[in-house]
Amino acid sequence: MTTATRDIILPAEWRDFWALTKPRVMSLVVFTALCGLLAAPGSIHPVIGFTAILCLALGAGACGALNQYFEADIDAKMARTAGRPLPAGRMDRASALNFGIGLAAFSVGIMGVAVNWLCAGLLAFSIFFYAIVYTIWLKPNTPQNIVIGGAAGAFPPVIGWAAVTGDVTLMPVLLFAIIFLWTPPHFWALALFMKTDYGAAGIPMLPNVKGQRVTRNQIFGYSFPMAATAILPFALAETGWVYGVAAVVLNFIFLALAFRVWKNEATDAAAMKPEKQLFAFSILYLFLLFAIFAFDRMVIS
Amino acid sequence: MNQNEPSAYTAEETAIIRKRQAGRSRVMGIALVALCILFFLITVVKVGVWG
Repeated sequence: MTTATRDIILPAEWRDFWALTKPRVMSLVVFTALCGLLAAPGSIHPVIGFTAILCLALGAGACGALNQYFEADIDAKMARTAGRPLPAGRMDRASALNFGIGLAAFSVGIMGVAVNWLCAGLLAFSIFFYAIVYTIWLKPNTPQNIVIGGAAGAFPPVIGWAAVTGDVTLMPVLLFAIIFLWTPPHFWALALFMKTDYGAAGIPMLPNVKGQRVTRNQIFGYSFPMAATAILPFALAETGWVYGVAAVVLNFIFLALAFRVWKNEATDAAAMKPEKQLFAFSILYLFLLFAIFAFDRMVIS
Repeated sequence: MNQNEPSAYTAEETAIIRKRQAGRSRVMGIALVALCILFFLITVVKVGVWG
């Protein structure tokens, strides 16, 4: 629903509900979950596998809707998010809340009945962790928000894996750790060149609270355990050479870009080319790393 | 709504509302049909018809 110029209520368009689910974030969630599912030992019926991925996508959509419900006021203050359905006035908040709760309940319920209750429990916990722990508690209160909150985005490959095996072993925990350690350098690179936006919204991102030098040190510092964790599946002989070589190359590029960020002293967003390059590459990095991991486990190994 | 009561919306607003309602109904219809098919397939798999 939305309020038009003479204070009347018009129903929101279906596209606005679609936008609430943050489709671009959802695509990364679906992709990493699919890689976890494909790389897991054993087999799953295609219908059940599709259902697991669909439930994960709907769960991610619920997270997006609930996040936008809770952050409508913050979104209105940032240029990057001001055009979203709630701050733009194309939908009322109650619709977003109902949509988010409905999607969450539906996705968890179907996951439990059709796939297994371990996956349903993990999905329910990750939705709760993102929508409540991260959005309401961590994000507005601590500069470590995305470090701890990164756990929510790290669950999808674990759930994909557990859909096949019915349990959580060392490998899915490693996949979790890769995304968990990837999140700080990824988001802090964005936070550096979007510092003004986050500052205007009053979100205590690390560059705003501790400064740009500390943030650049942290980005470079987190890149090393991330790279080591990404290479571990090969070191533990859980993958073949294809993944091993790809992991080394991708992490070398990531570290080189993180080094350039560390060396950069720019305070103006326009001069933060290394930060923008690291942010863009970090997305490609995760896509390629997980795609090659799944390919290696399925075809080569 | 009583047919004799004057509408709270102008003709232009009513057209927008009808268009949005139609769009949402179409999407909801497609989603429901897709879910019916999915639930049928899940049931068939779960009861082991395809082994």
